[in-house]
Amino acid sequence: MNDKRRLLQIINLAFISSAVFATFFGSNAQESNKRALYNRSANLIFFVCTIVVAFIVIFFIGFIFYTALPVFQSQGLINFIITDEWNYGKNIYGIRTFIAGTVIMTVVTLIMAVPISIFTAIFLSEIASPRLASTIRPFIELLVGIPSVVYGIFGLFVLENIFQNHIEPVLASLLGFIPIFVDVNPQSGLGVLLASTVLAIMVFPTITTISENAIRSVSVENRHASLSLGANRWETIRNVVLPAASSGIMTAVVLGMMRAMGETMAIVMLLGNSKTIPSSVMGPGYAMTSKILNDIGHHFSEEGPRAALFGIAAVLFAIEIGFVAVSRYLGGRK
Amino acid sequence: MNHRKAKESFYIFLCYFSAVLATLALFGILGKIALEALPSLNLEFLLTPENEAEGFGGGIANAIVGTILLSLLSTIFASPIAVGTAIYMQRYAKNARLVKSFSFIIDVLSGTPSIVLGIFGLMFLVYYMRFITGGFSLISGAIALTILILPVIERSAEEAIKSVPAELEDASYALGATKWETISKITLPNATTGIVTGIVLSIGRAAEESAVVVLTAGYSQFMPEFGVAAKESMLFGIRISPLQNLVASLPITVYHSFEFPSMVSPSEGFAAAFVLIVIVMVINAITRLIVWRRRIG
Repeated sequence: MNDKRRLLQIINLAFISSAVFATFFGSNAQESNKRALYNRSANLIFFVCTIVVAFIVIFFIGFIFYTALPVFQSQGLINFIITDEWNYGKNIYGIRTFIAGTVIMTVVTLIMAVPISIFTAIFLSEIASPRLASTIRPFIELLVGIPSVVYGIFGLFVLENIFQNHIEPVLASLLGFIPIFVDVNPQSGLGVLLASTVLAIMVFPTITTISENAIRSVSVENRHASLSLGANRWETIRNVVLPAASSGIMTAVVLGMMRAMGETMAIVMLLGNSKTIPSSVMGPGYAMTSKILNDIGHHFSEEGPRAALFGIAAVLFAIEIGFVAVSRYLGGRK
Repeated sequence: MNHRKAKESFYIFLCYFSAVLATLALFGILGKIALEALPSLNLEFLLTPENEAEGFGGGIANAIVGTILLSLLSTIFASPIAVGTAIYMQRYAKNARLVKSFSFIIDVLSGTPSIVLGIFGLMFLVYYMRFITGGFSLISGAIALTILILPVIERSAEEAIKSVPAELEDASYALGATKWETISKITLPNATTGIVTGIVLSIGRAAEESAVVVLTAGYSQFMPEFGVAAKESMLFGIRISPLQNLVASLPITVYHSFEFPSMVSPSEGFAAAFVLIVIVMVINAITRLIVWRRRIG
């Protein structure tokens, strides 16, 4: 039914354009005709806008996967994801190293960012006075306004020295008996820890703002009921407020995770770009996004390498689309 | 009892601690960037394009102008389409499943990693369409950024339109107004502040983007110039400046301090970063002002 109407709208295009001509250049157009005409043209214009947007997005997604197709055909999708060798000369591509780099970096980022973000969100919505909260909130939103490339050079020129000379030796000497805390490369501060620290600062405002909204939307009655039963403030937050806000907080974490995975500029500068799977949190690695950025400039005109790099992008994109679906499911959006 | 109290104070202390840590980190970062930027930051640095300064680096006027051109142009491209789409989705579309899948598409677009959009721009706009866009150019960058900010404007416009009270529209229909008259005279005026907020936010979003811009707009040491010149390889045999020319932008200047440390010193990178942050902050402040005025009015 709807489709038929839409088809009619498109057929109307010819009619309307001739009517537009008649209205503006014809001699005695009726007022009511004019109104109906405007109404129909507005309808058509908005419909065309929507079609254009839908076309752009579908073309964009299709373009990425279509350009990546040759590499999936020649390497096999599974093989492409689970093998290690990446060689332009031999035309062999496997991206396990890059996937591992991205995943490890994202996990470390979340371990650092999630607790601080959630505690800050609790502070802003439950503990601070409205006045204090509204003083702090703009500053947290300010963090969003710092471009990722700026975080990149900040990490590179300011934090790298501190990490190399102070944080990593201390961490290694305290926790070095656990294999993942060995300082594998003492001459450099670059690595998962540095990249994840900077990423944690970048995703902090995202997670905090969305979780705070979720916590705020828990109704006051629930809190009062819990408090009147003798629970103290923390017990109320822990047992009543957080469970009620959990789907919102999960959405916030997923969105933060997507931002961390898709980040490019800062990671190119900070992860160390060494083609190994990081063996310790201080070891260097190579993320999917950095591989694309570093190599695409030299290889975009060659069929095979281009397909391989688009293959990385396609895998990354597919993961992100999956997370979008998850966050929509959690958010319960329509 | 005591144990419960101790636990409460411990966690509440943790909350305070997190908030203080976050605020300190922000001031630390901004302060350090300003401090590092200070040696290079002077009027001459801001007003000289890179090609007129001695040696490499030394000026960012070209990048400032480029950033402004890129973000304004992409916002001009994106706004009408995005707002039109938002109106259609909120007031015309009836098929619930179609609306749902369309909103999923918009979510996917807004979650797209910028590098994926960047290589799309590089292959499609810069490489395949080079006879129209002129390869790495202002127009390629602006179109790629348009796709980046479409969902930002679309989402906020949809929210703004959704928040217009149904009673107002019903009253308009009851007076015999057509759908277009209701939307243009009732819905849109009531949703203006929300829509404008989204548009202004998206200018900032476009200004700070780097991965997309480095792969589509390239970099030029020269100020964008205006004019038309003959160029055989292009469509219609002409090259329209600055649209089809390479263009510089601040995020790329910042990136150069990492990529070519011998050409752009860290301090100059930080100075460019500082200017970029100030631009984005001013834009955010404008958004805040719009929201604040709406709350009062």
